[in-house]
Amino acid sequence: MNRRTTRTLSFVATALAGALALTGCNGETNTSASRTPAAQTDSKPKLEVTGAFIPEPATADMAGGFLTVRNSGSVADKLTSVTASAFAGKAEIHETKDGRMQQVTSFDVPANGTLDLKRGGSHLMFLDVKRKPKKGDRIAVELHFEKSGTVKVDMQVEAATHNPQQHH
Amino acid sequence: MRKKNALVAVALAAAAALTLSACGGGDPSPKESSQSAAEVSAPTRTKAATVLDRPYKKPDLVLTDTHGKKYDLREATKGKPTLIYFGYTQCPDVCPMTMSNIAVAYKKLPKADQEKLQVVFVTTDPDRDTPEQLGKWLKGAGSPDFIGLSGDFPTIQAGARQLGVSIEPSTKDKNGNVTSMHTKQVIAFSPKTDAGYVLWTDEATPDDYTADLPKIVKGETP
Repeated sequence: MNRRTTRTLSFVATALAGALALTGCNGETNTSASRTPAAQTDSKPKLEVTGAFIPEPATADMAGGFLTVRNSGSVADKLTSVTASAFAGKAEIHETKDGRMQQVTSFDVPANGTLDLKRGGSHLMFLDVKRKPKKGDRIAVELHFEKSGTVKVDMQVEAATHNPQQHH
Repeated sequence: MRKKNALVAVALAAAAALTLSACGGGDPSPKESSQSAAEVSAPTRTKAATVLDRPYKKPDLVLTDTHGKKYDLREATKGKPTLIYFGYTQCPDVCPMTMSNIAVAYKKLPKADQEKLQVVFVTTDPDRDTPEQLGKWLKGAGSPDFIGLSGDFPTIQAGARQLGVSIEPSTKDKNGNVTSMHTKQVIAFSPKTDAGYVLWTDEATPDDYTADLPKIVKGETP
């Protein structure tokens, strides 16, 4: 949850999250306890991808991508790889840690939860981009999940400044 | 140090919000709890700009600009409103977003103010960010008017340290991919005092810069 934070923020947030776990919400911390039996019997992840976009990059060197995966199923899944062969020679999944981007092997998509790839944090990384995408373009991308298989999404190219999380 | 205190305060506020939302209802839906967890890293803020109680002295930094010429930061920006940011061009997210956000506001300034305002991007990845690469990138990410500086890493690191910004050299991961560091803070220097008196984080929007830059040009506090 604090991939996008600075060292200080992540330290403080981690410490406080620990305190929260210790002090708060006795008996209520396990939210899955209140799940309806119907949801529990459905033993597959149910994924929905929303808000997928690529900020228009400054050069054709590389591009980042952001999206949200909602899992309304009661089983967790993992995003294990990404391809976009018509657009980029290589696509990776990256997390941001202490101001540095690094490749990871997978991202968790928790049961009844969300994987948020958003600005300042974890992202898709497109390398060997074939041409510089422009605002308004749609880029075909395949997301590969451990259990759900391949999910195809059209990623909208937005302005370089686009950042939906700032409009709340 | 100021910056740290501000960040801690923000984190505390966010954590407090998390505590409230996580414990407020008897039966928080999983959707709600995952959203409030995400809020920890995106705290709501009242104002993007932080006015520093103890301004930074402008770093003594001599590097190379995008034309391959020697650039002495103190000499070149003396008496001019100046923004400084440290990042790199092979950066998919925060670096181009920061420069583009500033560029939106910069382009809205009257021509005379644009000429006064010096926007300086210092690379944290001088091996890959040659003057040519920086020039090409700044044209796309910001404006051809922006100043891109490269040089040897220890000089850049020492300059950043004078502004309380900690950067480390680029490293290679196990797959041979080079990873570099971006920073989160843009610092504004006053044309009146040449001191670094205002700071924005990567939470700042184009609108925030649009509201604040006209004041920075005059050396006023946003």
